[in-house]
Amino acid sequence: MGLLQLLTTFFKKKRHPVLEDNHFYFQDFDQDRPLNEYEFVVYDSELTGLNPRKDEIVSLGAVRIRDLKIIPQENFYCFVKPRGDLPKDSTLIHRITPEQIQNAPPIQEVLEDFVRFCNGGLIVGHYIDLDMAFINKVTKRYLGGPLANPCIDTLRLAQLYKEEEWGNYYDQFNYNVSYNLADLAAEYGLPEFEEHDALGDAFQTAYLFLFLIRKLKKGGITTLKELYLAGRSWRWLF
Amino acid sequence: MTNQDKKDVHSVTPQVIIDFLKNTIPFNELDEDSLMKVAQNCTIDFFPKGTMIFKQDETEVEYLYIIQKGGVKIYLKDEEGMVTLKDFRGEGSYIGALPIIQGTRANLNVETVEDTFCFLLKKEIFLELIEDNPKFAQYYLKSFSEKFLRTAYQELRQHRVAPRTEGTLYMFSVHVGDLVKSEPKTIAATDSIQLAATRMAEYHIGSLLVTDEQGEVIGIVTDKDLRTKVVAQGRPVSEPVANIMASPVEKISSHKVCFDALLTMMTKQIHHLAVERQNKIIGVITSHDIMVLQGSSPLYLFREIVSQRSIDGLYPLSQKVPLIVRTLIEEGAKPNNITRMITILNDHILDKLLSLMIEKYGTPPVPFCWLLMGSEGRKEQTFRTDQDNAILYQDPENPRKKEEAQEYFSAFGKEAIEHLVKCGYPRCPGDIMASNPKWCQPYSVWESYFDEWILRPEPKQVMHAAIFFDFRPGFGKLDLGVRLRDHLTDIAKRQEIFLLHLAKNCLESRPPLTFFRNFIVEKDGEHKNRLDIKKRGLVPFVDFARLLSLKFGIKETNTVERLRLLYEAEHISKELYTETVEAYEFQMQIRFVHQLRMMEEGLQPDNYINPSDLTDLEKQTLKEAFAVISRLQAIIKDMFPLI
Repeated sequence: MGLLQLLTTFFKKKRHPVLEDNHFYFQDFDQDRPLNEYEFVVYDSELTGLNPRKDEIVSLGAVRIRDLKIIPQENFYCFVKPRGDLPKDSTLIHRITPEQIQNAPPIQEVLEDFVRFCNGGLIVGHYIDLDMAFINKVTKRYLGGPLANPCIDTLRLAQLYKEEEWGNYYDQFNYNVSYNLADLAAEYGLPEFEEHDALGDAFQTAYLFLFLIRKLKKGGITTLKELYLAGRSWRWLF
Repeated sequence: MTNQDKKDVHSVTPQVIIDFLKNTIPFNELDEDSLMKVAQNCTIDFFPKGTMIFKQDETEVEYLYIIQKGGVKIYLKDEEGMVTLKDFRGEGSYIGALPIIQGTRANLNVETVEDTFCFLLKKEIFLELIEDNPKFAQYYLKSFSEKFLRTAYQELRQHRVAPRTEGTLYMFSVHVGDLVKSEPKTIAATDSIQLAATRMAEYHIGSLLVTDEQGEVIGIVTDKDLRTKVVAQGRPVSEPVANIMASPVEKISSHKVCFDALLTMMTKQIHHLAVERQNKIIGVITSHDIMVLQGSSPLYLFREIVSQRSIDGLYPLSQKVPLIVRTLIEEGAKPNNITRMITILNDHILDKLLSLMIEKYGTPPVPFCWLLMGSEGRKEQTFRTDQDNAILYQDPENPRKKEEAQEYFSAFGKEAIEHLVKCGYPRCPGDIMASNPKWCQPYSVWESYFDEWILRPEPKQVMHAAIFFDFRPGFGKLDLGVRLRDHLTDIAKRQEIFLLHLAKNCLESRPPLTFFRNFIVEKDGEHKNRLDIKKRGLVPFVDFARLLSLKFGIKETNTVERLRLLYEAEHISKELYTETVEAYEFQMQIRFVHQLRMMEEGLQPDNYINPSDLTDLEKQTLKEAFAVISRLQAIIKDMFPLI
């Protein structure tokens, strides 16, 4: 084991210092602390398409949660210029036009700041796997490795909450439910934000996250570990 | 760990906070720089429903809480644990200002009544703003006193207690028993009329109760009887009073309020009522006794109607109804009392109108009954309710009579409708009026209509016919209407399919509310973003009461009365009865105030409420009222499991 670790370290690309920090923080990660002691970075990105192999990020938005409160002024928001073209069909979704990103920096120029913003926090997102696939692709390319931040998916939390509700709800055979971010916000009566804007969606997700962690198990989730455990029971469904 | 200190180039102003505050009093008074400062020093927190944000005398208040979404209730708890509700606050309201300014702990308990998001502004920043912006500060200082005043008024309205000022407020607070000044004055039935007159003169009173040998009260004799039955008819004064007395005596129980007495007098067209306490008559009150209490009284309008000698003279009278209603609302009358009062006044106008028309047209060939439908039938009219009426006449015995009757009632119905329009009652858009030949029919046809609806129900017809099931005889030979009601009551309760259709209909409307401040409002058209309180809020209650009344053979048509009878017959629980009546009446109240306001602005009254015109407390109460609808629907589902 020790040898293997030594070998991988040796052959791995050298990691950028900011990524070193990123990994260092999560080396000894303690899941048993109360939730309010963790920092969360709620993240959303706008993309040229859904395929991490060929599509790229055009906008990043993130906002911090500390002490389980949204800190709105601690946010990260920028457009980036993709290497390839901006496909028309993606513009139709996020309304970012080629002109808007003409003078935007390429991803490698903002990446370091972004990773610094994320350092120390757990990354929260709606269907976060997709956003992580894109961001890890560029951190690997430019900073020498993927991010080490543990991630929490609000979509999964929402599914979990729905299932909890259904337990004592007569409409439980209504499978016609949407897990779309805006639909969830409307359903739970959250303040609503502009859709398909990276920062707007990050804020929307942050509200959803606060809502869900306080409502799940009737507010009985206190530590990070409990949050993960709560999410495990439904996995067999999918 | 913050990157803020480094002045991050990729960070933007939290627009969410700025946008919200720009539309929130008093933050809209602040300049851009101050607003920015607020936005830079706010955090956003979430409190699920039922969270205690402040605990009285315990919580150190570190932030001003600005409610972005949701709502809270504010209450006091005294040493004995008695809870006094102080206020509800919703979006854009704040909590915590007073403790911050005074530098104390929380002075009240604050608990979320909805899932609530708040902006938390650091108290140091809040204090700086107060220091630097006089206008901003003024809002908080002023609102402390005003808020308490407003809350006080809201609570009054909430509990419907008449404000205790001098003057005109006795109608709903003074009990009939309090008006009784002395022991009832009586006379034996066998005593002479002359002795009665002497005694009345002696006591300076206008009436005597008449007793039998056992001393039981069997009748009443009034000075009006002396005028009309003795002097005018030249009757010998030596006859016993029993010959001219009115019997039995109309009674009212002593714990009723004056308003009830007034209603009874107006309904029965009498001026004296015997007051009863524990089956014993303790005295007599007169309309004069009540009028002395009451400055501007519905009785005056009532008199004007009764004394009218021409049809034209009736036209302007119905316009005066709103004036009276305004006084009644101000005095805290319950909506059901107000609608009953409006109904009585409208009934009198109708009565007078049709009587005058009969004088003109001559006696009808066969007796008839004027039927009132819909809200008129339920005695729930507000202002300018559409006409819903019909004519029911006795089956003519031969074809010649039949033709005569058709001709007479067709002309009579058409003209009556025209007069009613001129009186200010708009035509029924669905043409359910006595002028429509379909709804001007002899008894046998009416019976067949109801048989058709009940025995062979079509879903669409049932819906259409719903208002017919609320009919009540309004004028003429009332027995005809009563007979029709008996008939339908008798067959309806056994027709499961028919009841099932009605029940289905009840479940169709969805209760209008999910979240605090988040009403379901009309999505488009001229009533965009308003709540149709009639369709969404009131109709489900009316439908529920109608369905259960038909199922259990209750003949009453008034919704509140139907509910009372259902409760008394133990078809619904006491809690449900109380809750339902309260919810229903509160909505009626909101609707009245809304319509009155529209009329005073010279607009046509409608049922579309703008939720932003309501106070937080009204919204909260309305929301609770809507919650009752779901409960009613659950009961219907239980009762009709086949739906």
